[in-house]
Amino acid sequence: MSDAPDAGCRDLMTHISAYLDGDLDAVECAAIERHCAECPHCRDVVEGLRRTIALCRETGAAPLPPLVREKARASVRQLLARHDAEKSSRN
Amino acid sequence: MRSATDTGPGAAYAILVRDAAAGDRDAMERLLMRAQEVAYRFSLLICGHPEDAEDVMQDALLKTYQHVSRISDPDAFRTWLYTTVRNACLMKRRRRVGEPAHMVSIEQGARSADGGFAELDVADSARGPEQQLQDSWAGQRLQSALQSLPRAYRAVIVMREIEGLTTREVAEITGLSEANVKQRLHRARVMLRHKLEPS
Repeated sequence: MSDAPDAGCRDLMTHISAYLDGDLDAVECAAIERHCAECPHCRDVVEGLRRTIALCRETGAAPLPPLVREKARASVRQLLARHDAEKSSRN
Repeated sequence: MRSATDTGPGAAYAILVRDAAAGDRDAMERLLMRAQEVAYRFSLLICGHPEDAEDVMQDALLKTYQHVSRISDPDAFRTWLYTTVRNACLMKRRRRVGEPAHMVSIEQGARSADGGFAELDVADSARGPEQQLQDSWAGQRLQSALQSLPRAYRAVIVMREIEGLTTREVAEITGLSEANVKQRLHRARVMLRHKLEPS
C-alpha cells in the first residue's frame, strides 16, 4: 500500500523528510502543516515518521550493555598501560 | 572551518581528539571508548553481525590510538572513524568461512544508478546468547526492522539517525552525493516506519 493515496499527497510526501529535518522555509512548512490539518493520512505518516526517528535517536543515546562496556574499558586501560610501560622502558 | 560556538557531536569529537593528541589521558580514554562504541553499534546495526563486534572494536581501538598522534584535521576524525570501522567490518566478512568468493563488500557492492554502491546482503547466522544480549540493548523490534531494510538504506538511516552524523559526513563515508543521502534517508525512514508500525 502506498503512503500517498493521491497525487497531491504524493507531491507533498516528497518534502516530508526535508520538513522533519527543518530544511524547509516558513512558507513551505505552513503549507505542509495546512495539508496535514486536513489530511489524516498524511498527518499519520508525519507522526509515524516522527516516532520512528525518535526511536532511532533513543537507541543512539543508549549506553552500551554493561558487559560490553566493561570489556571496552578493560581494553582501553590495557592499551594505555602497555603504552606507559613502553614509554618508561625507553626513558 | 568550524566556529568556536559549534557544539555538535562532530565538534565534540574534534575537541576530544585535540586534547588526546596533546597528551590528555582522560580525553584519550574517552575517545577510545567512543571509538569502540561506534564499532559495536556499526557491527550490530549496519552489518547485522554482532559476532564480529569484539574484533571490530579491537581494531577501532588500536587504529584510533595510532591515528590520534598524527592527525592533521581533528574535524575530519569522525568521518575517518566511521570509514575505518566500516572497512574493519568488510574485512571480517571477507575472511568469514563460507563467504561467497564474489563478495566484494560488506556494505558495498557494485556502483548503483544513484552514484553510490548497491549493497550486498549476507545471510545471518543463528542468534546465540551474545546476540540475545545485544538484542535487548537496541531493542529486538528496532533491530529486526533495520535488518529487513536493504543494506544501502540501513547504513544511511543508522548513520544519520542513530549515530547523528551529518548528511555531508554520510556522503563522504558512502561515496554518495548529499542529495542521494537525503533521498535514501527519506526512503529508509518510510520503510522503517512501515516495519515498526505495520497498518
